Amino acid sequence: MARLHFLKSGLQTTIQDLGRQGVQDLGIPINGAMDKASAQLANQLVGNDANSPVLEITLLGPKIQFEGQCQIAITGANLSAEINGSIIPQFKTININHGDMLSFGKPVTGCRAYLAINGRWDIQSWLGSYSASATNTAQTTPDSIIAKDQIIEIIRGKEQPIIAISESERPSLSIEAPIKVYPGPEFEVFSAVEKQCFFGDSFTIGQDSNRMGYRLKEALKGYTQKVEVISSGVIPGTIQITNSGQPIVLMADAQTTGGYPRIANVSSTDLDRLAQFKPGDKVRFELKYKPIEI
Amino acid sequence: MKIVPFGDSALLVNFEQKIDIVINNQVLSLFKQLQEVKEVTFLIPAYCSLTVGFGDQTSFKTLSKQIEEITSKSQSTDLNLNPRLIEIPVCYEAPHALDMSEVTEKTGLTQQEIIDTHCLETYKVYMLGFVAGFAYLGSLPEQLFCPRKTDPRKEVLAGSVGLAGLQTGIYPANAPGGWQIIGRTPIPTFNPKAENPTLFKAGDAVKFKSISSVEFEEIEKQVSSNTFNLEEYYG
Repeated sequence: MARLHFLKSGLQTTIQDLGRQGVQDLGIPINGAMDKASAQLANQLVGNDANSPVLEITLLGPKIQFEGQCQIAITGANLSAEINGSIIPQFKTININHGDMLSFGKPVTGCRAYLAINGRWDIQSWLGSYSASATNTAQTTPDSIIAKDQIIEIIRGKEQPIIAISESERPSLSIEAPIKVYPGPEFEVFSAVEKQCFFGDSFTIGQDSNRMGYRLKEALKGYTQKVEVISSGVIPGTIQITNSGQPIVLMADAQTTGGYPRIANVSSTDLDRLAQFKPGDKVRFELKYKPIEI
Repeated sequence: MKIVPFGDSALLVNFEQKIDIVINNQVLSLFKQLQEVKEVTFLIPAYCSLTVGFGDQTSFKTLSKQIEEITSKSQSTDLNLNPRLIEIPVCYEAPHALDMSEVTEKTGLTQQEIIDTHCLETYKVYMLGFVAGFAYLGSLPEQLFCPRKTDPRKEVLAGSVGLAGLQTGIYPANAPGGWQIIGRTPIPTFNPKAENPTLFKAGDAVKFKSISSVEFEEIEKQVSSNTFNLEEYYG
C-alpha cells in the first residue's frame, strides 16, 4: 500500500482515465483525460493498463507527500516537477521512497501533466470510469477532484523495470504547428470568405476556456448568422460557431448535443496536442481530408 | 438518410432534418440496432440524427455499409418501440412557477389553461442532451408556444419544468438555462446511485400531473429521507 497525501491541491488537479464512453445517449459527457496519448504513456511507464486512472495536473501542480514506496511517471506538460526539491525527469519511471515530497514549480511548456502510479487506485468509479464527472461530482466521483488534505491509497502493483521515452518519441507540445481538422457536418453552410478566415487567421484561446470547451476570442470576420441546426450530437473535437461568429472547440467534458453549426472536427491526435494549449496561446487550423475509400 | 464522417472516430447519420415523430422513430430504431454492434463505442440519438462513435477495429466505410444494410432491412412496421409511460407530478404554483406570468402574457392563456393544456398531452422523449438526464419532450400543444427567455438564468433549480418553443423539459440538476419555468417536480430525474442513472430514455412517453405545494413538499420530504419509492419510476 502506498498513500498520497495532498498538502496542496494545485490549480485544477483531477483523476482521469480514458473516459466513460457508451452512456452518451443519456446526455452524459465522455469526460476522461484531455491529452489521452500522454495519459496512456504515463501508465505504460509504470506498467498499468492504458485505461488506469492518472492525475491530470493543470499549470500549477499539487504538493504530494508519499507514504510507502511506489513507482510513478509524469508525462505531458513540463510543470517543473521536483522530488524533495530536485527536478525529476519526465517520461521516465521513477522510484518513490517513503516520505518523499513531490511538488511542482513554474509551468515551462504545455498545460496539462499526467502522473501515473504503479498499482490499483482505491477510489470510487461511476459508470465504468474513474474520471471526474462534469456535474454532480460529489455523488458520482467524489474522489476525483483533488482537494487539499485529501488522501489516496494505491494498492501497489508488481515492481517495473525503469524505462524512459526519448525526446523524439514523446508527443509534440508544439503550439506553432497548425491543428489539423476534418470538415464538420455543416462545413458547406459557411461561405468561402468565412472558411478562408477560419483557416487563414489565428485564434486566441480565451481565459474562460476549460475542460468543456476552448472558447476562441476572435469571431470569423463578417460572419452572418446561420439557420439553427436542429439539436444534434457533438463530440470532443467538434468546433461550433456561435451566433456571434466565435468558434468553440469542444473538449473532453463537452455536453453531448448542440444547436450551433459544426464547421470542423479536430483530428484525434491533434486534439491531444490542443489540450496542451493554454489560455492566451494562439491556434491555427488546417484542413485535413481523410482519404475515405469509396 | 445521409451518412457523413464526423471527425476520425465517429460518423453522423442525418435523417430528414425536421422534428417529427416518425423520423425520430427511425433514429431510435437504428440506435437500438447499433447498440448490438461491438465496434460502436457510443451513440447519441437526437431529433433527426444519430451520432455513432467507433473504435479502431472498424472504419467509416465498413460501418456506413453496415448501417445502410440495417436501414434497408428495417421496415416502418419494425418501429414498434413500445414506450413506457412515466407520469410526473408537477407543482405549477409559486414559488416553483417562476415564469408563469410571462407565459400567460406570451400565450394569452390563464394559469389554469396553461396547466390543463400542459397536463393533457402525452409527450415523447425525442432525445437526451444539454446535461446528464435532460430529456427533450415534444410536441407541446401550439397554444403553449413560448420563446426562450431573453436573459437566461445563471441557475435553474433541479426539477424545474420549462417550456421553449414547442418543447418542454425538466432540469435534472441545478444548471444555467433559458427555458420558461412553469413548475417543478419533486421527483429526481437524475439519480447517479441508480443502475440506470437517468429517469428518462429516448423513446419514453411522459405525462404531467398537477399537484399542490403541500403534495410537493410531502414527496420532497420522502425523497430526501429515502422513504419515497423511486423504483416505481426508475425500475
